[in-house]
Amino acid sequence: MKKILLVLILTGGLYWAYKSFSSHQAEPVPTKDTTMLPSAPAPEAPVAGKTFNKLFPGSADGFSVQFTQEKEGYAQADLLKGGKKLAQFSVSDTEANPTARDKFKDSTKKIGGHASAAVGSMGTAVLVAGRYQVQVRSTDPSFTAADREAWITKFKFGDLK
Amino acid sequence: MSESIDQLVDKLPTSGMTVRALGLLDFVAPGQWQNISGFDNTIRFVTGEQDAEMVARIRERSLVLYGDSSQGYQRAVSIFQMVDSAGGKIGLASMAHMLGEKVGMLSFLSKLTPKEDKAQTIDLGLKLVAEMVSFCYANGFPGDGIGDFMGAVSSYEKENLIRLSAIVTFDGLIPLGPDYGAKLLDSASGWSPSDLENNALFQRIKGLIPGGEATDAAFQFVNSGLGAMNQYVGSFAGARGITLDGVLGQMRGVIDFSEGKLDLLAAFLDVSTNYMEHTGIQSVSRSLIERAVGEI
Repeated sequence: MKKILLVLILTGGLYWAYKSFSSHQAEPVPTKDTTMLPSAPAPEAPVAGKTFNKLFPGSADGFSVQFTQEKEGYAQADLLKGGKKLAQFSVSDTEANPTARDKFKDSTKKIGGHASAAVGSMGTAVLVAGRYQVQVRSTDPSFTAADREAWITKFKFGDLK
Repeated sequence: MSESIDQLVDKLPTSGMTVRALGLLDFVAPGQWQNISGFDNTIRFVTGEQDAEMVARIRERSLVLYGDSSQGYQRAVSIFQMVDSAGGKIGLASMAHMLGEKVGMLSFLSKLTPKEDKAQTIDLGLKLVAEMVSFCYANGFPGDGIGDFMGAVSSYEKENLIRLSAIVTFDGLIPLGPDYGAKLLDSASGWSPSDLENNALFQRIKGLIPGGEATDAAFQFVNSGLGAMNQYVGSFAGARGITLDGVLGQMRGVIDFSEGKLDLLAAFLDVSTNYMEHTGIQSVSRSLIERAVGEI
């Protein structure tokens, strides 16, 4: 309980920093309509990372999803269970790094109807709407490739179509 | 940009006073911090990937992201570096004999100037503000609101956690005593803009604090931030089981110091370590590598 209270208080400090920070910084990138994500042809500026937040699976059944990083064209979260980090989730706009799409060109496997590809030995990704890469990476040995595929299907791809 | 992130990580020492001092804090969060050396090793450690081509691709993307100053990673590193770039650091030559030995503080007495409580509390406060600002530059503002932001904070671990422990211990508990939190609050309530203007640390980092070009705006930022954080920081040592006796017990294995001269011990740690820069570079590298592997 005490720990939770402490976290709340520090969070207050950081959130205050966030608000102060935002008010002192100019918008770093051109923003877009965030209700529908574009699948328009390249090249375009990457969309704001905040746009992706709603796509991530929610916390449920003893698993918690914690957002950890958010930048232009990128959002990232950790999957935890019992405080232990099991996996890293990310959604990225490949407009910022178009070569990321290459690995899906010869893909024969689909997850949730989307072309999938391995990202090294610890990651599994799908390409949605020809532009957005959704990746799940194991950070704990107990989190298998099958777990990665299962969690990818929990992302809310609807808005990306 | 003076150096790329791989150069900065590759240069981090594997021994010396900074590494030893941070190692003393392992009891706060056992096993959380490992002093990984080399950027490619850091990539392997953070991502679990061992294949050379994969590591090279992650490295390449990391360097592109770091090289783009608008992404914030460079600024986060700059803040950590500026916090630690005090002019009075003990040179590497005089540190050479410290490796693996117990350090005799007496031999450095001529280089040590204990800070008065007010100067110490300002330094403590500014380091905490620098920590908050760097977090935002390196990670953005994750999530959609206070609940998500809280999640990012509660996952403070590894390099971030050891650095926060070091701020509280080396710049709070040792020089100011167990009531360092109350002292910080008392002191901060009496600060004026000119107190900050006269502080060497503030002079170094003010350009990177929101509103920092104008001292009054930076003063407001620092004061508000500390007001929000103070209770957490004041309780941090107790909540983590960090006691002055416990810390000094650990220190005795590494440094010869006089029990009644904790202000000198704090001054010694100040000039002989650069723990903010060291762990700050490691934290930014982790954020960068995690994103890079998500984007390739």
